[in-house]
Amino acid sequence: MAKNGNSAPSDGWEAQLRKGCLEMAILAALWDRRLYGLEILRALSSRSKMDIAEGTIYPILARLKAEGLLQSEWVGAEAGHPRKYYWLTAVGRRRLKEQIDSWMSFSSNLSAMLQPIIGGDR
Amino acid sequence: MTDTLAPAIHAKIKAYLERLDVAVGSFPHAEARDIVREIQAHISDKLGGDSNDAAVEQVLASLGPPEALARNFRMELLLTRASRSFSPWFLLRTTGRWARTGAKAFAVFMIALVGYSVGLALTTTLIMKPFVPSVGLWVGQGSLDFGTPSNMAHMHELLGQAYVPVTTALAFVIVFGTTRALQWLIQKRSPYAPSYR
Repeated sequence: MAKNGNSAPSDGWEAQLRKGCLEMAILAALWDRRLYGLEILRALSSRSKMDIAEGTIYPILARLKAEGLLQSEWVGAEAGHPRKYYWLTAVGRRRLKEQIDSWMSFSSNLSAMLQPIIGGDR
Repeated sequence: MTDTLAPAIHAKIKAYLERLDVAVGSFPHAEARDIVREIQAHISDKLGGDSNDAAVEQVLASLGPPEALARNFRMELLLTRASRSFSPWFLLRTTGRWARTGAKAFAVFMIALVGYSVGLALTTTLIMKPFVPSVGLWVGQGSLDFGTPSNMAHMHELLGQAYVPVTTALAFVIVFGTTRALQWLIQKRSPYAPSYR
């Protein structure tokens, strides 16, 4: 764990913040589509600027599946090899909505507190 | 597909997957096979058509060592299973393994160790009771002892006939309480995967 918080303090803080939101981002990436691991990584990177070590996504997907938030299936692709596709279960959709609710209220409350500072700087 | 790649690159990927296969060897068979297949698909997809030696090195490096990958899988799956388990032995073993990853996990392990040790000690006194009738809850000289005190002279036994039912209930509450607390603490762990070392 210490491995990740060892650079500049602000980097460590930001890394923790991103990691804390990783599960929500993975679930969100799967909201309206079925994706395989690499596609999820690419969605995280392109749509939320979350670049995570590639090896970390697969154990997390395995856990989310074990917790019943995701379901998966091997699909033979034209690429020549099968890929393991993931999608949200009903439990996963519910979990994501709960996380979004907490996130939205948390971030709007915090923004209200930060607003005067941002304004005062100008 | 990996078999369209140059032999040296193919061998490098094969070596990585073989190490992963060994590292997940203790997993249930279907789970282990799934993991290796998924990582194999990941490598093939990352490399696509243009694959040179440097690209392969980069893909394998970003996955991390196969042993670390297997360890992350194991920890995630064990903890998920433990968060629903009612087996003290499984919870103790899993939190023991988890304890190496940080101070919080270590604290959870200590709760498991203390809770289950007390439960076991109380159960032991219950098993001893028919053979050693003096086993009881002894008080006196400012101390409170389950079992048989070394010096009974200045102490008296509190529970009498109620020893077995009361201690049974107490042991049950402690073991069950510890189990539920552990399940809860494991569920409340950080919702992301730290690098388990």
